[in-house]
Amino acid sequence: MRTVQGKTSMTGNKIRVIVSKVGLDGHDRGAKVVAALLRDAGMEVVYLGMYQTPEGIVRCAIDEDADVIGVSYLSGEHLVYTPKLVAEMKKGHLEDVLLLVGGSFPPEDIPVMKEMGVDEVFRGGSLTDSFVQYIRKNVRRQS
Amino acid sequence: MDQREKKKESGDGRCETNWDNYLKSYYEKPQSVRTWSGYEVKEAYTPEDRSHEDYESDIGDPGNFPFTRGIHRDMFRGRYWTRREVVGIGSPEDTHKRAAFCFEQGGSGLNTIADVTYEMGLDPDHPRAQEEVGLTGVNISSIQDMETLVGDIPLDRVSWSLITASTAAAATMAQYAAVALEKGYDIRDLRGSIQNDPIHFRYCGFRPACPLDLSIKLGSDVMEFCTRNMPKWYYTTVNMYDLREQGITAPQEIAFGFGIAMCYIDELLRRGLHIDAFAPRFTFYVSCHIDLFEEIAKIRAARRMWARFIKEKYGAKDSRSMQFRFAVHTAGCSLVPQQPLNNLVRISFEALAAVLGGVQSLHCCSYDEPMCLPTEKGHLQALRTQQIIAYETGVTNVADPLGGSYYIESLTDKMEEEASKVMNQVQGLGGMEEAIRTEWLDRQFDKEGIKRQREIDKGDKLLVGVNIFTSEPETETPLGVQRISEQSAHQQIQDVIKLKKSRNKRKLSEAIKRLREDAAENRNTIPAMIEATRAFATTAELLGTVRQVYGYSYDPLDVIASPFD
Repeated sequence: MRTVQGKTSMTGNKIRVIVSKVGLDGHDRGAKVVAALLRDAGMEVVYLGMYQTPEGIVRCAIDEDADVIGVSYLSGEHLVYTPKLVAEMKKGHLEDVLLLVGGSFPPEDIPVMKEMGVDEVFRGGSLTDSFVQYIRKNVRRQS
Repeated sequence: MDQREKKKESGDGRCETNWDNYLKSYYEKPQSVRTWSGYEVKEAYTPEDRSHEDYESDIGDPGNFPFTRGIHRDMFRGRYWTRREVVGIGSPEDTHKRAAFCFEQGGSGLNTIADVTYEMGLDPDHPRAQEEVGLTGVNISSIQDMETLVGDIPLDRVSWSLITASTAAAATMAQYAAVALEKGYDIRDLRGSIQNDPIHFRYCGFRPACPLDLSIKLGSDVMEFCTRNMPKWYYTTVNMYDLREQGITAPQEIAFGFGIAMCYIDELLRRGLHIDAFAPRFTFYVSCHIDLFEEIAKIRAARRMWARFIKEKYGAKDSRSMQFRFAVHTAGCSLVPQQPLNNLVRISFEALAAVLGGVQSLHCCSYDEPMCLPTEKGHLQALRTQQIIAYETGVTNVADPLGGSYYIESLTDKMEEEASKVMNQVQGLGGMEEAIRTEWLDRQFDKEGIKRQREIDKGDKLLVGVNIFTSEPETETPLGVQRISEQSAHQQIQDVIKLKKSRNKRKLSEAIKRLREDAAENRNTIPAMIEATRAFATTAELLGTVRQVYGYSYDPLDVIASPFD
């Protein structure tokens, strides 16, 4: 059984996930659905919605003491914002926070994003169980 | 799904065939007898199911009220649907080139889509726009960009569909008209359409650019301006497609689309226009999803409902007002990146539904839509899909070939019944504007979107490559990847910075002043926007000026201030 140090939330050791869009892309259906499904799976979700910046997402992850950041890309903006997000996470010392990416992008870019520092990628057509299980298995917490 | 795994690993790592499973698949039958939208259907339909039908009043011949069977008597014998592929890849130059390519390959209508920054009403030099210039469409910030996009295309002869949906459509219409005027055309001769449905676009991520009152104001300005000055132009394409992409059902697509259309109609009537003066130029953008018969029935129901609705509720006399004209976009959300070539097959069925439903203009998705913008090969394949249906299959020979089918007619009735229920529900809430203001509509989209994912998770809906017949993930896109050139995005930014330094300040500020006054006096803003565009005002400047008059921040993202204050 995992224990969580330094967490002050009333919700105890629930996994905390930030779900967000980055930039101007308006395709938010996937992110909204994922946020709801993670909540149903017992996680605590902060849904930031659209027009977020990498700085803002990381600030929120620090404030909320998040375990996971999940971002959704659908307009080809993934290669622009991912490195910025990773850099901000480094600046914020979020080495133990999982970075997950979902949405639409060419399979060719999956290894590129992983090289940049993304932990795992879930394309359209991913089943809920696949990302819920992934988070449960891989969430990095101090014990 | 375990029972579908036909091979299992033997101890030494070789694959052994599991013959039991082969036998199981031989006897397999569909596990669901529901339509995509969830309606249970019978084993077979018979004349019994149609015993109360009055053919003349409920169905009618093609070309006759209530137009259930199509808006033309001869349908595709008179003219094929317009084969129109959506193009928008970054710079105006690149987009012009790809559009010309689609024409050369047999496309019959132009269809260009604006990029994400433009839809938001931002110029490319906006601090939050710079990373995204040209993503998902063409970037137009001034009359110069529109001139480049048009190039040598003869505007009085082609039919051009301009896809700008947000309040930025007012700027697009002004920029297009301004270029036509500069080139010496009479704008009365321009043929084509503009999407101009800002209300729906708040559900597509552009809420800051589309406050409800401004959406109705600017959307209706375009409609009114075209009604009075551009008689061959279709000035709105109420976008039921984008609504459907949120995960809603086929009847909800009709009901919500009609509800939004009514917001504009009511405003145009308030402005003193007669329903028959503008309704013939109303068009719709409809989704065709994967359930072939349900989609055909949905289209037929929409046609019948619209005809009665415009006649009975609004008192139209001209039969052209009652004709539901529509373009189809095959359902992007039905496509998946797993086993991507399967998408070609999905698109074919969806396009077939559109054609059997009597479509006026068709965009087939490209198979690579779940991965990237269409590659040239992707575009070509989409166009070829349309051409195979048009030129090879013979489905164009007869109008409404499925009319009279016990099943199709019953399903058409079902779609109408269910859509009417939703429309009554909206009416009960105080109408669509109220349903939007109270975010009731948002909640419907949220609820339905989650439902669709759960259906796939549970296997209630099967998707080949996703929850059935799965395979190892692909490592590459079969026909290559479309990328937006960073160089051309950079050029767009530099161009607008240069333009803003070099234009005549006095002429510009006079034009902006007139635009501000027209907006404040609640006059139609399009003539002043055309004038300002000719004085080199940019997209953000046109829209920001009107936003301020309506009490909103100049910049939809509220990051930069107006240069005119």
